[in-house]
Amino acid sequence: MSDSNKKQSRELAEHFFRTEYGKIVSVITRYIGVNNVETAEDIVQEALLKAVDHWQQNGIPENPEAWLYTTAKNITLNILKRKKYLTKYQLEVNRDALKLEQLQFSNEVILDEQLKMMFACCHPSISENSQIALILKLLCGFSIPEIANAFFATNHTINKRLVRGRKQLRENKVSFEIPKKIDAHLAIVLKTIYLLFNEGYSPTQQNELIRIDFCLEAIRLAKLLVDNTSIKEKTDCYALLALMEFNASRFKARMNIDKSIIEMEKQDRSKWNKELINSGTQYLNQAMKGNQISKYLILATISANHCIAKSFDDTNWAAILSLYDTFLELEDSPTIRMNRAVALSKVKGTKKAITELKKIELNSDIGEHPMYHVVLAEFFKEENDLSKTIKHFKKAISLTKNERDLKLLEKKLIAIVPIS
Amino acid sequence: MKEFMLFIRSEESPKANLSPEQLQQHIEKVGSFIKQLSDEGRMKSAQPLEMEGRMLSYKNGKIVDGPYNETKEVISGYYHLLANDLEEAIEITKGDPRFEEGIWRVEIRPIKKVEGIN
Repeated sequence: MSDSNKKQSRELAEHFFRTEYGKIVSVITRYIGVNNVETAEDIVQEALLKAVDHWQQNGIPENPEAWLYTTAKNITLNILKRKKYLTKYQLEVNRDALKLEQLQFSNEVILDEQLKMMFACCHPSISENSQIALILKLLCGFSIPEIANAFFATNHTINKRLVRGRKQLRENKVSFEIPKKIDAHLAIVLKTIYLLFNEGYSPTQQNELIRIDFCLEAIRLAKLLVDNTSIKEKTDCYALLALMEFNASRFKARMNIDKSIIEMEKQDRSKWNKELINSGTQYLNQAMKGNQISKYLILATISANHCIAKSFDDTNWAAILSLYDTFLELEDSPTIRMNRAVALSKVKGTKKAITELKKIELNSDIGEHPMYHVVLAEFFKEENDLSKTIKHFKKAISLTKNERDLKLLEKKLIAIVPIS
Repeated sequence: MKEFMLFIRSEESPKANLSPEQLQQHIEKVGSFIKQLSDEGRMKSAQPLEMEGRMLSYKNGKIVDGPYNETKEVISGYYHLLANDLEEAIEITKGDPRFEEGIWRVEIRPIKKVEGIN
């Protein structure tokens, strides 16, 4: 094999560009200021375009990361040298400590700057919508069309969220550092990461491929938190990471060939990802050491109980029921109450669970959610009350907006009433 | 073997709107397409072109800038290819994965070999 052959047979790691995009945007932002984050985005995009031209012709260099870092650094220096920019940026740059010329893209620097970017994106002044959009764009390297696609939104909507988010970063003079009062900020970061995960995990959205990527990105970001030394109290980070890994372990098992969702009860458990379950278990153990009960810890433990059960019926429902009870002591939520009802039906029978569900409906708007009627219908089916089963399946169908869920529900209805 | 000049045409800065993920796919797919043809000895040269440049023409006894095309289309790169005939050159070109991105047009022109010029 000739030299040039060797050069060209080198391959890029999966999602290399996307991950590097987030790393470099974070590092560059430290130097030009969070109010100029859009310039940082442009710089990195330009560096990637340069890489395309060079690598397409000459093959992938021996150290593609270093190639990108040097290129991005040079583009930034060129921009800073241009006079009109110089005055604009100088104020932002702490000249004593931050000399861009001497910048080394060490692992440590990259990890730190990504963490700062995470805290900046999740600044309390920014709306949840914009926080998620900023994280996906700045830290995860997704493009506007990719984000829009996954969210069932238009490019225009996503762009508006980003513009608003960047504006908040500027106007609130959000600093690019790990906050001193870290706990309050960390709670928002964790919540946003969990929302991001759920965007990916939610069965009501399409575009499975990119949604798995959202979940994996949420896990990657949580790992950045866990690995960082600036955060002292990590119990919640461990717990959230465990929860996401347990849930993600079922991602592939819950998808039918026709892209419809398979419920946990009917999933082939041998398809659950054991690597994720093992890793999640380790993080859960870490979280348990904290002696601090949190919502993430409870949800992770519930998910772990599902992961280790041999079958749906063999699940330790009594344990899950008491975990839901503990959760409700921390936060009362109709969705959690509904999930609790499923565990209740397994422990105390469906009649009790039905009574419980009806109580939830009286005290909340859960009756507007199709899932509520699906659960209720399943309970009535177990009680052999066909007319009520049909009634609630029909109600669920009338409340369902997305096509995939509709198909699943209609299938269920047909299974009960073959001729209708 | 005949020689062909392939002009890769596109709107200005065609790749600017591709996401990092799509850019990586571009390198991987188009890169291996070019590599394979180079290995087979069919691709004599392939390069992208810078977006800046000049159009010169002769007007009223002077060399002047322009006129420029009104459309935004530019030649963003070229391939210098060997093939038996135009049909085969077309078939080879159809295999270029860049077409999947929907932003490229490729013009294939046989190079006229005129004896004694070079």
